[in-house]
Parts: sequence; C-alpha cells; structure tokens
Amino acid sequence: MNSRERVLKLFRGGEVDRVPCFSGMGNVTETGINKLGYRFANIHLDAKQMADTAASTYKLFGYECGVVPVDLCVEAEALGCVINVYPNAEGILYPTIKEKLVHNEGEMDGVSIPDNLADKGRIPLMREAIRLIKEDIGNQVAIGSYVLGPFTLAGQIMELNDLLKLSFKKADKVAKLLDVMADAIIVVAREYEKAGVDYITVREMGATSDVLSPRVFKSLILPPLQKVHKAISAYSVLHICGKTNDIVTFMMEANPTAISVEQKNNVAETRKKLGRDALIFGNFDPYNVLVSGDEELVRTTMRKCIDDGVSAVWPGCDIWPTVPPKNMAAMMDEVTKYGGKR
Amino acid sequence: MADEARKKEILEKLRNGVIQYDEDACREGANEALEAGLDANEAIFDGLVSGMEEVGRLFEAQEYFVPEILMCADALYAGLDILKPHCRQMDMGIKGSVVIGTVEGDVHDIGKNLVKMMFDVAGFTVYDLGRDVPLEKFVEEQLKTDSELVCLSAMMTTSMVGMPKIIEKIKEKNPDCMIMIGGAPTSKELADRWGADGYAEDASNALKEAIKMVAFLKKLRDEKLKKQ
Repeated sequence: MNSRERVLKLFRGGEVDRVPCFSGMGNVTETGINKLGYRFANIHLDAKQMADTAASTYKLFGYECGVVPVDLCVEAEALGCVINVYPNAEGILYPTIKEKLVHNEGEMDGVSIPDNLADKGRIPLMREAIRLIKEDIGNQVAIGSYVLGPFTLAGQIMELNDLLKLSFKKADKVAKLLDVMADAIIVVAREYEKAGVDYITVREMGATSDVLSPRVFKSLILPPLQKVHKAISAYSVLHICGKTNDIVTFMMEANPTAISVEQKNNVAETRKKLGRDALIFGNFDPYNVLVSGDEELVRTTMRKCIDDGVSAVWPGCDIWPTVPPKNMAAMMDEVTKYGGKR
Repeated sequence: MADEARKKEILEKLRNGVIQYDEDACREGANEALEAGLDANEAIFDGLVSGMEEVGRLFEAQEYFVPEILMCADALYAGLDILKPHCRQMDMGIKGSVVIGTVEGDVHDIGKNLVKMMFDVAGFTVYDLGRDVPLEKFVEEQLKTDSELVCLSAMMTTSMVGMPKIIEKIKEKNPDCMIMIGGAPTSKELADRWGADGYAEDASNALKEAIKMVAFLKKLRDEKLKKQ
C-alpha cells in the first residue's frame, strides 16, 4: 500500500495498514525551498515554484501528501483584498491582507461575489499549481488543498474586532455575510476539485471556542460550514484551532469526511465522544514539538497522538518551514513503526 | 467629597456598565462621578477596573467569550475617556511607559488591544505601534522613548518566530528593559528560551496578567493612601 492508497482508503472509511502521517495544511520546509533555490516570498506567486516546493516535503521526507497553497490569502485576494507577500523579508513571513474589502458595518451588505471569481487573483495560478503537483507526485500521494471557513474569511475581508462584536450584536447581519463567504468558498473549492485535488481542508480557524461560545458556533458558524461541506465533492476535512472539545460534535454536524484538531484538543476524549469510526486527524504542536523539540519529544508525541486515537497523525497547524530535517525524519520513522500497532 | 451612598451608587454604575457592556451607562457614570466630586482615579479603579476584573472572571467561567470582552472594553473606554483628563498625574508613585505592537507578519491585534487597555487604565504612557510592525521599529521606538516595557504580540505560529530577534536586539541595547510576549502560540518555555520577562498565551490570559499587574498597582496605591 503506498501513501496515496493509504490516505485515500482512510478517507473512504476502509482499513489501513497503519496510521498515515500527512496534512491538509501548509507543510513546505526551508530545506526544500533552499534545495530548489527558491525564495519563500516568491513561491506564492509562481505555480511551478509553489508546486515544486510543496512536492519537496514528500520527496525529501516521505511526508504522505502534496498540499498547495502555502499561504492563507488566496480567497480574500480573489474577492478583492490586497495582500502583502513581504517581498523583501529576510526570514520567512507569510502573506497577510494589507487592504480589506469591508471598512465598516455599512459596507457588509454590499459584499458580493464577482461573476468571474474563478479567474480572479491567484485562482488560475492555484489551478495550475494543483495540476503540476498532481502530475509530479500524484501517483504516490494524495493531493490536497485548503480553503478558509466562512467566518475566518469574513475576518480577513473586514476587521476581526468588528466581526466578533457584530456576531453578538447583529448576528443576522453576520449570518448573511457568512452565507456570501460560503458561496465564494464553494466557487474556489470547485475550481480546486476540477484541477484534480483529492481532498480539501476547510480551515475555520477564527471560530475556535477560545473565542466564540459553543452556542454561537452552533447558531452562526455551523450553518455556512454545512453549506460548504455539502458542496465539496472531494473528501473534506474541517479544521478548527484551539480548544475544540466542546464543539467536536458540532464539527461532525458540518458533515466533513474528517475533522482536524490541534494540540489543545484532548483527542482521547474526542475519540470517546465521537466513536471509533469517526475520522479524527491531529493533533501535535507543529512548532513546540516539531521545530523546537528534540527527536525524543517528536517520537513520544507521535506515539501519544496514536495512543489517543487519531486516525491520521496530522499537525495542529501549518508545519513551520524551519523544521529541522532530523525531526521530520523522526516523525515519519515513528509513525511508520508505531502507527500499525494500535 | 461625595457622600458615601452616592459614591457607592456611582461606582456600581461604572462597574456594572463595564460588565453589561453598556457604553452609555459608563459615560453617564463617569460624568456623575465628576459632578459628585469623586476622585477620578478611584472611579477608574473601583468602578471600571473592578468591572473588568469581573469580566475576566466571567471569561474564565466561559460565560463570556471574546465578543463580550470586546464590548466590555468599549464600555470601559467610554468611561475612561471622560475620567482620564481628571486623573491626578501618577499618584501611584509609579512612572511607566510601554511600547506595544503585533509583530510583522501578523495582522491580529485583539489581544494586544486588551493589554493596551489595561496599561491605559494604569496610567502608563502607551506607544502603540499597531500591527504588522517590522522588528526594527520595536527596537527604535524603545530607544526613542526609553520605555521600561516592550510588549510583543502574535497570534499565529507563523509570525511569532520573529520575536527572539527583537528581544535580542532590545536587550543588547538596553538590558534593563522588560519584555512581555503574548499570543496563542507563545509559551512560558519560549519566553524563557528567548529571554523574555513575561508572557500571556491568549487574550484572557493577557487580560488576567494585565489585571494582576493593575491590581498590584492598586494595592500600592491603597497602601500609600493608608500611610497618608
């Protein structure tokens, strides 16, 4: 069973020989970027560089996926926001939104989806990057991409501060905006599907229960998430950061193929709550374990994830590019050895 | 001096105004405090800040979440804006200025703003650099203002890794400057390793830390008053 077969079989709900080790979020490494002779700031703007860099994590470490894009600004940019890729940064800085679309409450109602959203911003570049990475390593690994969740995207096109307050004060207005965001996300996800991705992760990072109450999650965040997952025909993963134990059942109600949680989730409890068949991906700390931990910490953490009952060992967020190669190797080695023993 | 019952009533109004995120009540309470001749510092600490302490507790108990806290903060500022010009300057025997901002690569500023609020309340001079702030700007601003405290915030793992560079540069030029780091991906271990003096992992924690600090200042003030 190769990595691709393993991951796809897992998504289908079949038995696999061992827990796979992959991600639906960014996982490029500095090692890969340097080897290719690229610069981090450029890989977001060039389909070939993006695809090459993303494929290098599999090629160098056997990481069991190929995921593009690398940044989180694709949808917001396509909707009309201006992004900053920090072209002159010395170290690694991820692109951010420089110019928002909505500047005040009054402008919220005016947000609409451009007719040709599929051709805006970097969506065409993304289609090309997906095509390229699929051509390159698509026989060996599953190819993934990600979109933002409606609330997280809304928090990019307007001030998060205002969005949060309005979620409380004027929930109807926010619900309306989130529905538009859901439609935009669906357009983008469909383009990725057409380009050939096997799975799509929906990253609803802004709606963690560290920030919003489970009650608001259910009434406001869940409906547009359900809409998005319903429209995705590829396998889908719903990722939410932070403390998610109180909302994992709601996450399942969004009806993704799998849910993804980070290190603040108690996965043993989540497993108990959701039962043995639920696909739960997680949940190690990609910085404090994989980047700044030693090999031993990496190994014990991988074993703990598996013992707690994850269906796939998967990071809590993007893998930070400065990850030491020996830690990547330790992660793969440990999951390969220990992942079949459950 | 206002009579005790009236005073209590006004302080209660300020406190509840914050807890119930009622900006109008805080504004009214602040004006009433001034009319009744209440000490502005007292109105801030025993009214507004006392309310914010309760908000912190409600957050811990998961009765309040971030939207509520943001609204409470707006209410606090509504009162603070009126009271602040009437505060006796630095009667706490503490002079303080702080440089605060979200590091480059990060455009999230909610946690940073909550911490800033508590510094405002405590009478610090706050140099707020905003968000997505280049590393050198922190160093420059610290040197320019000679602030004793620098607060660095990041909400994303992807942006916090610039922090050690700033800490190193500031400490190199000014070893006495205290540095607080904050944001979801930070930890006590990282703070220690990077040579930061304090840390707060999330908005509630930042709020709690800041409240603790302000509560400490309040205690100092009370002790000072007792001695007088």
